[in-house]
Amino acid sequence: MLKFRLDPRTKILLLVLVTAVVLGGVGGNHMQPFVYVLSVLPAAMLLSVGKVRKAMRGMLLILMAYTAQFLLMGKIHGISGFLLLFVTGIWSRLLPGMMMGQYVMETTTVSEFIAAFERMHVPLQLTVPLSVMFRFFPTVKEEFQAINAAMKMRDIRFGGGNMVKAIEYRIVPMLSCSARIGEELSAAALSRGLCGERKRSNVCRIGFGICDRICLVFGAVCVLYGTAAAIGVIS
Amino acid sequence: MIEFQNVTFSYANDERAGTVKNLNLRIPDGQIVLLTGASGCGKSTVLRLINGLAPHFYEGKVDGRVSVNGIEPKEAALHELVSVTGSVFQNPRTQFYNVDTTGELAFACENMGMQVEEILKRMEKTVERFRIEKLMDRNIFHLSGGQKQQIACASVDVAEPDVFLLDEPTANLDYQAAKKLKKIIAIWKSAGKTVLIAEHRIAWVWELCDRLIIIKDGEIQSDLGKEEMEKISSKSLIEKQLRTKIEMNPLSLTRGVRSDREISISKLAVSYGKKTSMMKFADLSIPENKITALVGENGAGKTTLLHCMAGIIRKYKAKIEENGNLIPSKRLWKRTFLVMQDVNHQLFTESVLDEVMISMSRENEEKALEILDQVHLKEYAARHPMSLSGGQKQRVAIACAVASDKDILLFDEPTSGLDRHHMELTARLFLALKQMGKTIVIVTHDSELIESCCDAVIPVKEAVYE
Repeated sequence: MLKFRLDPRTKILLLVLVTAVVLGGVGGNHMQPFVYVLSVLPAAMLLSVGKVRKAMRGMLLILMAYTAQFLLMGKIHGISGFLLLFVTGIWSRLLPGMMMGQYVMETTTVSEFIAAFERMHVPLQLTVPLSVMFRFFPTVKEEFQAINAAMKMRDIRFGGGNMVKAIEYRIVPMLSCSARIGEELSAAALSRGLCGERKRSNVCRIGFGICDRICLVFGAVCVLYGTAAAIGVIS
Repeated sequence: MIEFQNVTFSYANDERAGTVKNLNLRIPDGQIVLLTGASGCGKSTVLRLINGLAPHFYEGKVDGRVSVNGIEPKEAALHELVSVTGSVFQNPRTQFYNVDTTGELAFACENMGMQVEEILKRMEKTVERFRIEKLMDRNIFHLSGGQKQQIACASVDVAEPDVFLLDEPTANLDYQAAKKLKKIIAIWKSAGKTVLIAEHRIAWVWELCDRLIIIKDGEIQSDLGKEEMEKISSKSLIEKQLRTKIEMNPLSLTRGVRSDREISISKLAVSYGKKTSMMKFADLSIPENKITALVGENGAGKTTLLHCMAGIIRKYKAKIEENGNLIPSKRLWKRTFLVMQDVNHQLFTESVLDEVMISMSRENEEKALEILDQVHLKEYAARHPMSLSGGQKQRVAIACAVASDKDILLFDEPTSGLDRHHMELTARLFLALKQMGKTIVIVTHDSELIESCCDAVIPVKEAVYE
């Protein structure tokens, strides 16, 4: 079976495309066909790496948001109707970007990411802090789960359902844990010789394959079409 | 060779803890040295002076001269020291830069800018010597604490330094995981490397060490060679406020206790992962108003069991009986309070007093202060919980448990990383809680804690079906 594997640079390009076109609405109405393609793409990507559950759940939510918009459009009025449209609109635009982000985070290793940025001649001073993200999100998730477990167990009556308190009680331990984790992570990385000055080597091989080329062509078409529409060649 | 000449160091942001005074020390190549002493005695500082983190990362003033194979760490840049010293830290969760194990192994060498072929060759060698083939190409977040520590050791080994520095490497590990770490140290020993281990728990590595250095208040209290180490008695270790040198499997301490009241949990089954696999536990009974230790091998489900009892995991099947009467699992959650291994996760407020007050069913300041007095924290009532030491935070959590009127207190590894003095304090507190009529259940691998206060020691096992 052909292994579907993308170069980190392709993944980043696709992530930028999805966020710009679907969420940012770059290119306006002309880009509508691309919006649909780019909304489905993240789910397809997640499927390609076997994340069936995540792909299905995301796709279902997007479809629900579109269906709701289609059915409700023009039928309801007032604040509540506006709110509903607003929420479904945000939903359908936000989700593809989030799913794509998840795909990029889950399939890219830190060293692949660094290798890709080095090929693009991004200075190490920028690459290093960005690469820390890959570590940071799962770490924060772990911490958050533990804090939630503690809250659940303590069953505290949070100021009589006071939202502000409920948030504060999660943030306080989160911050103090993050500060400590940050310090320990830096100490470990420095002691392993990470520094922004010296040229690094990298054991992972990255490069463009057939899948990357298809994605790049698609990206180019997308950008060209968008530009053409913007300057009025296509009306 | 490592040499300290009249070295004095204190941290810029904390002038008391971890200070080192007038240290003179000479460690020849190939020696395995165990550094021990009470919390804050300065043993970690000694390691940091060797790997350069003090003063490069932990700021402070260094007087005197430290030299490692002729290099002065304070004069060299940190990245120049990678091929000289390799460090393994206490917390397995926070010493990785990569998310995948393979990338982590290559990391230090990549930072040196080494040729890719050479890195791959070295990695292969390390993986083979450490027998960690099964851990390669895995997500580090999915590994156990012990496995993470193995990867940490492997990742410094690939850089092939002459000196290995381990700062409380087993503080978060259980008995079996410490055994694996010992094998790695034996590998380094046979390769003629110099190894320095700063530890409270000294038993796991005792027989491998050539030298024991006891540090007290930043100065060397005793410096013992192999022969003297063999002669030292358990009693004199206790007098020096040190942990035991006898390695003991907590499972071997298994014992029961008679009690007129007990809670029995039978046919416990918990689903985990993607609801495809079930973990089934062997039946067990917990005596009430006693101190019970739950022991068991890594992955036997000790923490899972505690989480079920505390109501953190609520989807499970079990038959819970108290004195033979069936009770719903919810009745059990309502009576329990768990003090987590990382107590930072369960302190939410801005003052110790607030923390205790929000745990009460009806807020009562007078009673809250009374409870704080019982755990010796009354003078800290106005302090921010995060400004306290680890042991004090643990006591805040215990005060919350008392304030919430729960009668079953659960503890997950309460003495991991504690020195003898603090371990004894914890044991005394458990005894006081028992006096108050509480039932105490502790998940632990600390055989000394078990010896000093536990009434019953129950193994946690998976159920075996025919």
